[in-house]
Amino acid sequence: MAGDRLRRILAELAGVGGSARLCEVSTSVIGVSGAGIMIMSGDVPHGSLCSTNEVSALIEDLQYTLGEGPCVDAYRADQVVLEPDLADPVVPRWLAFTPPAVAAGARAVFGFPLRLGVARLGAINLYRDRPGPLDNDQHADALVMADVAARWVLDVQAGAPEGALASSLADGADFHYVVHNAAGMVSVQLGVSVTEALIRLRAHAFSSGRPLGDVARDVVDRTLRLG
Amino acid sequence: MSREESLIRSLVDMADTLVDDYDVIDLLTGLTDRCVTLLGASAAGVMLASAEGDLRLVASSSEAMRVLEVFELQAQEGPCLDAYRTGRRVEHENLRSGTGRWPRFSAVALQAGFQSVFALPLRLRETTVGALNLFHVGQAPMDERDVVVAQAFADLASISILQHRATTEAQRLNEQLSVALTSRVVIEQAKGVISERAGVDLAEAFARLRAYARNHNLLLTDVAQAAVDGTVDRSVWTGNAALG
Repeated sequence: MAGDRLRRILAELAGVGGSARLCEVSTSVIGVSGAGIMIMSGDVPHGSLCSTNEVSALIEDLQYTLGEGPCVDAYRADQVVLEPDLADPVVPRWLAFTPPAVAAGARAVFGFPLRLGVARLGAINLYRDRPGPLDNDQHADALVMADVAARWVLDVQAGAPEGALASSLADGADFHYVVHNAAGMVSVQLGVSVTEALIRLRAHAFSSGRPLGDVARDVVDRTLRLG
Repeated sequence: MSREESLIRSLVDMADTLVDDYDVIDLLTGLTDRCVTLLGASAAGVMLASAEGDLRLVASSSEAMRVLEVFELQAQEGPCLDAYRTGRRVEHENLRSGTGRWPRFSAVALQAGFQSVFALPLRLRETTVGALNLFHVGQAPMDERDVVVAQAFADLASISILQHRATTEAQRLNEQLSVALTSRVVIEQAKGVISERAGVDLAEAFARLRAYARNHNLLLTDVAQAAVDGTVDRSVWTGNAALG
């Protein structure tokens, strides 16, 4: 029953603050290999609130760099996205995302939208190191977990000063600030807008097969100049 | 349509508002109209509590009803107020001018042609959000079956209103979150722009951004946006003298 699920999840979360706990609880309650929560608005990922291990961090990072993947789709379509066999999907999708995700050990990925009423916040992503669908209980747990996470994020943000991000949301999160620093620098270097500079950075990351964050770090450290 | 079909149709229409984006006033005006067309009330009106807890008139099935409810609010006595304050149904009552529970209100209601009244709270569990007033030109009480339907309408409206409020609040917070993240992005971009223009590190770039905002009494986000757009004279970032 959904009521029992909610109680179980809230009991696990009780007394421990921080978004990192949200991802840990998602992993243990749902019974998957790892979880991550991506915050989005408009049509763009802002970054990752939490991730449980290197693989889920990579899954978040790839989606941020490439703008495709289960979370991005779950958020945009506002519906659950299930890929029980990432290495051998029925219908291939996420052509850039899939090879590095599989190479890292993700064999099944699932995206559940984070929303409350009509407010859409992002998505929670779950991965497993072997292929196979979520069973009914896991699916139901994931839906409840997504609901709990959405409420948690907005509750925490409700306590923040106007215009600022709640500090509990910032702690442990990766909103890729260095990427925006680099975009600012590249825009001056190339004489283009920051939007275009960001596209150039993404293109460079994609073509060199590196995470966007690493490329941006090099730009900021002045060991890389684009153009 | 038979009466039963009409009732079912009404319930389905009202339940629809739980999922659709909708207008509260439209929903409640529809509720008052249904009380007249389906339940035989002569007039119906809805009051909702504001955030501060005082009632406001939001929907009426007729102009006479509207005037009467405005009077009820002014006089601070009447069935709608009682239903809201107690959170319970105010049973059918025949009005007598100048006496009874609501002497002043009764006088005005009789003048408007109404002989009896009855009110239901708009309530979900412990939360009462307002009340529904039903007026009759005769003295006969409403059929109990109609009362049950009226309560079902009122319950649906209550759920819908509470749901709408929760959704609106979630939307407000989500927008706030999005604005906070977006303005942070612009500030980080501006740090990059200034760092590159002035050949300084990001910490120094931020110090210059903040100093400029403070010295010109501008918001940090606005200055950051201007730096990114290149609408601030670029030379201001390169030397400390220009920051004054």
